[in-house]
Amino acid sequence: MKSSNRWLTAFAVAIYAFLFAPIVVLIIFSFNNSRRTFVWRGFTLDWYPRLFENADLLDALRITMEVAAVAVIASTILGSLLGLGLARLRFRGSGATETLLLLPMVTPEIIMGISLLIFFFQLFGAVGSVGQISIAHITFCISYVAVTVRARASGMDPRLEEAARDLGASAWGAFRHVTVPLILPAVLAGAMLAFALSFDDLVVTAFNSGVGSTTLPIYIYSSIKFGVTPQINAISTLIVAVVSIALFIAWRLGAFRQEQTSLAIEDAPAA
Amino acid sequence: MASTTTTAPRPVAGGEPLLVVSRSWRSRVAARLGAVVLVAPGVLWLTAFFLVPLAIIFVVSLGTKDAAGHIVLDHLGLQNYAQATRPEYLPAFANSLRYALITTILSIAIGYPIAYWISRYGGRHKILLLILVMLPFWTSYLIRTYAWMIILRDNGVLNGILQGTGLTSEPLILLNTDVSVILGMTYGFLPFAILPLFVSIDRLDEHLVQAARDLYASGRGAFLHVTLPLTMPGVIAAALLTFIPAIGDYVTPDLLGGAQTTTAAKIVQVLFTSGRDWPYGSALGFILMIVTLGGTLLALRFLRRELFA
Amino acid sequence: MNERHDGSGIDLDRALIQALVDRRLSRRQLLEAIATVGPVAALAPILAACAGAATASPSPSTAVPSTAPSVGAAASPSASPEPTPVPTPEGELNVYNWDAYIGEKTQAEFEAKYKVKVHYTKFPDAETALAKIRSDGKGAGFDVFYPTSVDVPALVADKVIQPLNLGLIPNATNLGAQWQNPGYDPGNVNSMPYMWWTTGICWDGDKIKDDLTSWESLWNPAYKGKILMLDDIREAFAVAAFRLKLDPNTKSEADLDKMVALLEEQKPLLRDYDTDDIGFMTSKSVVIAHAWSGDVYQMYDDVPNVKYVIPEEGAVRGSDTMVVPSGAPHPIAANLWIDFNLDAKVSAANTNFIGYMGPNAAAMEFIKKEILEDPTVNPDIALLDKLVELLDLGADLDKYTQRWNALKA
Repeated sequence: MKSSNRWLTAFAVAIYAFLFAPIVVLIIFSFNNSRRTFVWRGFTLDWYPRLFENADLLDALRITMEVAAVAVIASTILGSLLGLGLARLRFRGSGATETLLLLPMVTPEIIMGISLLIFFFQLFGAVGSVGQISIAHITFCISYVAVTVRARASGMDPRLEEAARDLGASAWGAFRHVTVPLILPAVLAGAMLAFALSFDDLVVTAFNSGVGSTTLPIYIYSSIKFGVTPQINAISTLIVAVVSIALFIAWRLGAFRQEQTSLAIEDAPAA
Repeated sequence: MASTTTTAPRPVAGGEPLLVVSRSWRSRVAARLGAVVLVAPGVLWLTAFFLVPLAIIFVVSLGTKDAAGHIVLDHLGLQNYAQATRPEYLPAFANSLRYALITTILSIAIGYPIAYWISRYGGRHKILLLILVMLPFWTSYLIRTYAWMIILRDNGVLNGILQGTGLTSEPLILLNTDVSVILGMTYGFLPFAILPLFVSIDRLDEHLVQAARDLYASGRGAFLHVTLPLTMPGVIAAALLTFIPAIGDYVTPDLLGGAQTTTAAKIVQVLFTSGRDWPYGSALGFILMIVTLGGTLLALRFLRRELFA
Repeated sequence: MNERHDGSGIDLDRALIQALVDRRLSRRQLLEAIATVGPVAALAPILAACAGAATASPSPSTAVPSTAPSVGAAASPSASPEPTPVPTPEGELNVYNWDAYIGEKTQAEFEAKYKVKVHYTKFPDAETALAKIRSDGKGAGFDVFYPTSVDVPALVADKVIQPLNLGLIPNATNLGAQWQNPGYDPGNVNSMPYMWWTTGICWDGDKIKDDLTSWESLWNPAYKGKILMLDDIREAFAVAAFRLKLDPNTKSEADLDKMVALLEEQKPLLRDYDTDDIGFMTSKSVVIAHAWSGDVYQMYDDVPNVKYVIPEEGAVRGSDTMVVPSGAPHPIAANLWIDFNLDAKVSAANTNFIGYMGPNAAAMEFIKKEILEDPTVNPDIALLDKLVELLDLGADLDKYTQRWNALKA
């Protein structure tokens, strides 16, 4: 296996390069001395200070983050429970539930956006708000979280939990100390997917946004009319930078080592 | 479907029969309770904010519209569906299907080795490496796509490298073609494949693979007979998470594609916006949904039979 | 006289809308209200059926009478025929427009002058914004919206927008003669023109040396793979119509078949259908494009030798307008905003920033010389009369949409 390691590592490096290639270009063009992101016209740092004077853009970022936070937390909880339930339990209607889970994913975005728009208006007279966007985002994120969690939980040996129960753990205790650590990586993965989905959503958001709820994607698409400025690159660069720094600190503090131990638990009983 | 599954334990999409259900009375009660606690909140949410709105728009799809684009529900019928199955739209449906299939295959072919590498060789950096996969996706989609345009355009970065190294003499037309659409979509959906693949591969017991290596003696045999079958739930999840959104994607084919890359979802979008025909747009949208859902369920059934027969 | 009558009609609507906003109406009243306005109006029966049980229970609401007087009082100056002392505007204003499609300081100056907090919401694209505005049949809570002129007649017919309060818009007299009585809204009673443009051909003078004069250039095989068409149904069909000497507002199936056949012929030569003409030209993905004049102005920095022509066969002229949705929560501020944007200096500042010509004759003296002298943005005014305005087609739009979708698929 060690022999394949080198090729695999080379392949992995190439793929990481593929993933980050546009990010590198994006960062370079955030220093572009032109009103447009498209054509390189020399180096400037101007876009960064101007970013902080642009109250509209900062507002859009704030709204996007608020919506994403709500959507990620709620959809991760609902989706993880659903994924776990589908993987672990056979109950009347589980087939139907599976289909229900697939449906939001196969629904074209514009159908989902417009159906929610009509729904909120007809039932509540609501015509769009940050709250409405959040509900919409939770709705389309649940399936992605559930499918991810389910993939991990479905092969999980239920005897692990039974063993914990036999050893005197309460149902909650077994869930908390056995099941949760086992599915945690999938929950985390699901949450990351949900964040990416919510952060970038345009179509569903556009139909459910209202007065004052310009999110970052809407802001950016709106600016196409006069050309997207490198300010957008600058704000993207800052987001990447902040996340990277946070990751680095977390990593130095050993935040990810916790994961290791929980993964180890899983391997232990089978050994 | 539900009624046949209540008595005998049968394999679920994930994998093994669920021993726990049939084991004891206690577990059966626990299962029912668990279903309420685990499944009910999500199902209720999706019913309220997805199924009900979807039912409304389904009714819309049976209606017609008047000259001004108002929805009229006086004579409900399937006329929009009949109209939507026009042969002129077939190329767009074919495009959607082709892009989604190729994207799914590429995403899994690329994503599996990466997920495997992170899981097996990532050591204590596993989670960090995983988050790095996601990091590019926490920037704006449009700006990332613009970056691809800068790379792929006729006088772009890639053509610069190709011509600089003498591999090509003329600039290759990459942007606004099938190539750029598939590249853009694969890029966009790769994390959707890598994450479920990782969680599935990472769950795999290394000792099983070791045992298999002892039996099969070749790494390839162990991989094909042990690792791959055991991680199939992850492959299925990855396929679902890429194929399904890919078939409904119209923004990538619109931005990176050209005059010849129109997809079915784009036509739906045109009907809703410029066309001002919500009933017809809804009908076409439902057809797209049914095609996708039907295909997905068929594929799932096939995969399960293959895997667990 | 007519105006007075209309005015009181609006007041009633406004009262109803106010009540809706306050959500003090019963479900039944809500449904009835919905049934009177909006594209989703016809949906009411389903919901009415669903809510049947609920409506049976008596839940009388006094919302309408209680709110009507206050709203009526606030809006009463609107009924007066001549300009009166400016009534106090509401404290807020919800504007729905493109990003950066306004002077840099316009919003701040308006806020300072009228003590109104402006919420400037951006829309992702014009089509989505229009769908959003129409979604509740009365503007989705916005006070000022910027539709393209072609969409105005339908918005009027569907009562999505309300007649303007011309008493609050004295600056309407600043409009040039060409804009006093536009075909899409005679007398500008429902909308005020904001910016206008022409649609023509632009090309990179470094790559194409000829002086192009005809739409035929967009079919020239020599530029294969380097041609862009606007991803806009009506604009694209109009080009075919000009080439075939047909009416760009035609409703004839036979004409449309000929037009789409010509577009089919063009499709293999195209790089893309896209509205981002600026992006395609500045990135040099194409050398020639079907383009909006205002966008060409945006290309100067990056395509120094860009050329633009209004082809000899004829071309489309269009405008963006300012309207007040029928459900506008802050109608006084909305009308004052429109008036403010028609002020000579404000209008000129808008034009100077975005590079589109406004319809404002009084603003001319404050507009930058380079814009005034640029025939791309500011063509000879005599030429304007020869250009065609796209009109609303009602149900016949389907004939276009269907062929367009089939063409693109």
